[in-house]
This record gives sequence, structure tokens and C-alpha cells, in this order.
Amino acid sequence: MVVVWCPDWPVVAWGIPLDEPAAVVVANRVVATSPAARDEGVEVGQRRRDAQGRCPDVAILERDIDRESRLFEPVAAALEAITPEVEVAGAGLVGFPTKGPSRFFGGDQALAEQVGLVVQPVLAGRGDARIGIADGVFAARLAARSARAARGHVVIEPGQSPEFLAGFGIGTLGLPHLSDVLVRLGLRTLGSFAALNAADVSGRFGQEGLLAHRLARGEDQHPPDLRRPAHDLAVTWAFEPAAERIDQCAFAAKRWPTTSMPRSTPKGWRVFGLVSRLRPKRESGTIVCGATRALSAAALADRARWQLDGWLNAGAGGRPSAGVARLTLLPDEVVPATGRQLGFWGGRADRADDVTRVVARIQAMLGPESVSVPEWRGGRGPGEQIGLIPAAAVDLGEARPATDASWVTQPWPGQIPRPAPAKVFDDPAPIQFVGPSGNAVTVTGRGDMSEPPGMVQFGRGRWLRVVSWAGPWPADERWWDPLTHRRRARMQVVCEDGSAHLVSIEGQTWWLEATYT
Amino acid sequence: MALRAARAELSPELINKIRPVTLAQERVLPVPEALLPLFPWGGLPRGSTVGVQGSGSWSLAMALMAESLGSQGWLAVVGAPSFGLAAASGFGIRLDRVLVVEEPGRSRWGAVVSALLESVDMVAIDPDAAVGARDARRLAARAREQESILFHLDGGKSWPTGLDTSLSVDIEGWVGIGQGHGHLQARQANVRAVGRRSGAPNRSVSVWLPGPDGRLVAAPANVSEFRPRLVG
Repeated sequence: MVVVWCPDWPVVAWGIPLDEPAAVVVANRVVATSPAARDEGVEVGQRRRDAQGRCPDVAILERDIDRESRLFEPVAAALEAITPEVEVAGAGLVGFPTKGPSRFFGGDQALAEQVGLVVQPVLAGRGDARIGIADGVFAARLAARSARAARGHVVIEPGQSPEFLAGFGIGTLGLPHLSDVLVRLGLRTLGSFAALNAADVSGRFGQEGLLAHRLARGEDQHPPDLRRPAHDLAVTWAFEPAAERIDQCAFAAKRWPTTSMPRSTPKGWRVFGLVSRLRPKRESGTIVCGATRALSAAALADRARWQLDGWLNAGAGGRPSAGVARLTLLPDEVVPATGRQLGFWGGRADRADDVTRVVARIQAMLGPESVSVPEWRGGRGPGEQIGLIPAAAVDLGEARPATDASWVTQPWPGQIPRPAPAKVFDDPAPIQFVGPSGNAVTVTGRGDMSEPPGMVQFGRGRWLRVVSWAGPWPADERWWDPLTHRRRARMQVVCEDGSAHLVSIEGQTWWLEATYT
Repeated sequence: MALRAARAELSPELINKIRPVTLAQERVLPVPEALLPLFPWGGLPRGSTVGVQGSGSWSLAMALMAESLGSQGWLAVVGAPSFGLAAASGFGIRLDRVLVVEEPGRSRWGAVVSALLESVDMVAIDPDAAVGARDARRLAARAREQESILFHLDGGKSWPTGLDTSLSVDIEGWVGIGQGHGHLQARQANVRAVGRRSGAPNRSVSVWLPGPDGRLVAAPANVSEFRPRLVG
């Protein structure tokens, strides 16, 4: 294993220059320091107060794992130039197996140098990277830690890891409770712990002790988790001549579960996402489609079909210029199956699953934003009280509190009283609204009408007499923001034909906002 | 386990055959009590087409949907961007069971509605152009086979054939609003059944739409039978 360790990463992620004293703390304990702080005597493991005592100027920062991991991603990505099997073990710590790369670059030493060359430009002076190569991850990590020089690397030859580890203190295991007991038993180094009989360790310390014992002997707890898609589930079809019609591809996709699933089913895996790679004659396209829930074999085939459909029927720009020559279906993520309850007579047991499926299907046809779900929001007008958010952003199977009217708890002064109008216009149309004198009705800033309403005309329709009305209710919205400031007054009017409307005046013009149809 | 394995070997046709038989009357969705006289089957038959027309039709649609969907049913609103969801919620439609497709597009409209009919219980449509006869036949058949309901918010104006159930609303008047005081509170209306399969032609009920509590309730004078006028 190769391990690349950036000891100062928690400080680097905060964007602090390394020549300024800084320390990153978790629960008032220092976990990382800048070189300048180390020079002043601040050490990892110190209490915050002690660190400040050693160096009064030290900047104390709280640890932000998310930020560290986010900023560390380019480093991991750079290493993928060497091998695709990169595992990010934590912020500032990344590793991969040496087997292939080491042979390619001509030995572990050459590989370590190559890794240094790849990582340094990405780090660009933001701290140093230490590289360790050893049999196991734990040993490689300690090797990286013991590489003192800024660009140093330590290579432990194969089989030498137990000897290398023997000299380290028992505290390096990172198991405070266990190492406390072991120290009191007189076992101060990994070597002395490794010399014990594994059966005795297991008998006295159980599973935890056994794992620690494996580490101390230079073995790994378990092989590392690699970034590798499940290649054995991928299926590729070559079309000769290139397939021009969707149903040719769809037929292949339909057969996918039957060709690929039997191999996967005994293992009990469920496929989560799906990547279909299409290789038309010249260009290639990849459509990645994630799913929040595991898909059945038939749903998987359907999804592949919809994806292809959406892709082949895209607008002039997105459409491939030639037929599909090769189609690869590749499961993106597989998880163990936990079982699924079906209705007894083939009925629909889980409606949310069904609905999620149809949403995915329509999204494949019309685009990801095409299907939305409603949510309550605060607001005065009927159109402002409900917001639409893309269905892709929510889990339809989960409870959504914002869909209940009680979600909005704050009062909205000037809100139109219930019942709400059944027809709310997205873009209100201007209307004619006049008083008995024949002049347009106006509303003053204090909410007084120039005259009582007389007649109203919607669009080019006939003039209707207003028999009753309520309001006007003035609304002075967002007066603190000159760009979105709106000042209007709303009224409910009932016409002689019994129809009721919500009208508003804004800037001397009357608008039809909603109809109580 | 054995049951599941045995079930997997059955063909879908056979499953349909051995499925417990239900009578047509049992395959209806509940409707508001005040509207029961308009539904001779005691409810809204599953897999049918329904339309509403007249002033106040959308409120009637919402009240009917709320009762039929219950707490579990899903509603999809396709191509009706002015469908007032706040009002729908006021009539009792659960907003966490609502999907909205605001712009299905002219060319994909049929495919979207057809896909939705497969998975949700009710699809409300307000087409902005006439629906072709072939599309209409296909969608009606899809609704029948999936036992979902196609709800025409435009009363079936754009539909080439008649609807199974068609209701028409006539406004009587509003309560709570005066000349510059109060606000709209409740509305009295007459609802008539006019559909070809309604079975109760020209029967009408008087309802509050909405009533003072925001729901559809029967107005005191309940059913008024249509009395043929004497000619001459």
C-alpha cells in the first residue's frame, strides 16, 4: 500500500499561510498545527489553553471535516492518473495498492518518487505530503508519518513491516482504552504486543484486541475499499449495422436483467443507479441516472429505455448524429438486497415507488425540472402561498411537513382571507375597472378608493356590473429592497353573473389575479 | 418463500383471472355525501372520465377529488398552471400526494398523461388544444385498464367524445361579502349531472361550495327533482 499523508491539511484547508502560527482543535485538543506553531512549541494532543500558553499569537480554529475533504478532492483526483483504485481514508490521507503501479514505474522507490511528483503541483506549496509504502495500510501510514523531510518518503520492503512497526509505541494504535491497559501490563511497544499469542489476545481482549493485534503484526484489518464499479454486472452490445431506432436499443436493454441478473441474484445484490454509455459511430454519450431507491429488474430495463429515449429524442443540438454502435449498461452502485414486500395479488403495495418511477419517466421525457411538487410558503396573495419545487429534489416516500398548511406559522398581515381562489393566474391579465362616473377607480396610499366600483371588463368580454366587493387591502411588500419592492392593493369583487374574482391595482393598472371558480 | 416462487410462475393473465372478483358497484371511489344523489353507483366509478363545467367548476372538482382520493390517493395535475393548490388544500386534497406537470408540451402531452394514468389515481387535465380522437381513445382505455380517473377541468370541451360523468355548476350567490365590507366566505350553488353515463340526468343538488368550514356541504334544501313543465 502507498499512503500519502498531508499532516498540515486541517490548517491548509482553512487557508492559513503556513508561516503563521495556527492550530486546529477538536473538543479543545489540538489535532493539527502549522509549522510556525510547531516551532513555538505547540504540539498535537495539547490542550487549547496549553497551546495558547506556549504561543499567545496562535490562531485557534475549529476542525471542519467537510471543507477539508472537499478541498482534498483534487489531490485524490491527481493520484487517479497513476491508478484508478484510489481510496480517500480521510481528509489529508489517501492511499492505493502498489501492486500494479509499482511494477509499472519500476519498483516501490520509483513509485514513491512518482507519487511525490504528482502530488506536489496540486498542493502548490500548501503544506507537505509525506509518502509511505509498506505491506498494510496501518504500516504504510506510520511509514508516511515517520518520513520527516518535507518531500520525504519511507519505503518498507515487503515482509519487513512487522520489524518496522515493532519500535512504535502502543499509543499509535489509536485505541486509548486498550493501549492504557496494555501499558499497565508492561507492553509499551507494538513489537511486544505483537509477540503475544493471538489466541491469548483474543481470549483476554476479544474482537477489538484481535484487530489491534493484527495491526501490530503488520497485517490489515480488512482489505481497503476501492473505487471500482462492479464490472462483472456490466453488459455491452455491439450493433452491426448501427442501430437507428430506439426499439432496437430498448430490446437489448430489456434483455439486460435476464442476461446479467442471474449472475448477480445469488449474491443478493440490488442495483441502485445506472450508467448507460452509448457509443454512436463518432461521438459517445453517457447518461447517468441515480435512483433514491433500489430498482427491480424490470424497472431497470425501463429506466435504460427511458434514458435512451430521452437522449435520442433530444433537440437538434443534443441528438446524436449517427446510429448507436455500442451500448453498455453499467450498474453504478450495488447494495445488498434487503427484500421487498409485494402486494398479495400483485397489487400495488408501495405507491410511492410507483409514483417515483413515473416521475423518473416523465423527467426522462421532458427534463429534470418538468415534474414538481407543491409546498406551503408564507405570502399574502394566493399565488405566493404555494411554491413548486422539482420532484427530483424530494423523496416522495417520506413525510414532507412543508406540504401541510400548518407549516406556515407566522401571520401574514394583509393576507387574503380564506377560502382561496381555485384558479390563480401565473401572469395576471390587465382589466378595466371603472366607477359609476365611468372613470377608472384608483386607490390612495392609505387604501381609500376614489369612488365605489361600478363596472368591470375582463379581456374583451362584456362589461359586468359589480354587485358586491370587499377591500381594498393594501400590501406594501419588500419596501426595504428597491428592486423587488411592490406596492399594490387587492379587492374581491362579485359580478352580476355570480362570478367572483380577486383583482389588484398596481401602478394605476388593474389586474385579474385569481378567479373563485 | 414457496408462495413467492409459485406466484412468479403464474402468468399475469392467470393472476387477473384468479383475483377475487369485485362487483362494479364496489369499484367506485367515495364522493362527498352531498353529491351522492348525482351518482347512481354510489360513487365515482374507477377507470372513468369525469368533467366539470360552469362557474365554480374547479371548486367542485377539488371537493370531488379530495373525497375520492382520501388520504392515500395520488393526484397529478397536467398542463393546468392556474390550478390553485392553496384552494385544493382547503378542500382537503393532501398536497404531499400531488404531482404537478406545468408544461407537458403539445407533442408529449399524450405520453405524459398516459404514463401518469398508470401510477397515480387521478390525473387532472386542462388541454389548451383539441385532443385527437386516437389519443382520446388510447387515454380512456388506459384509464379503464388501470382503474384511474381522468379528470377534465375544462368540462370535456377539448375531448372528442362524451365523458362518462359530467357535472355542471350554477352559482346561486356568495355569502359574507357586502358593498365594501366583509369578505367572500361561502357560496351556494346547484350541481347538475349531465353525463351520458351519469344515470341521473337533470337531477340536481343544492350545495355550499365551499361552506363556512371550507368544504363542500349540502345546503338545507337537499334534492330538487326536475319537474317537466307543461307545454301549452
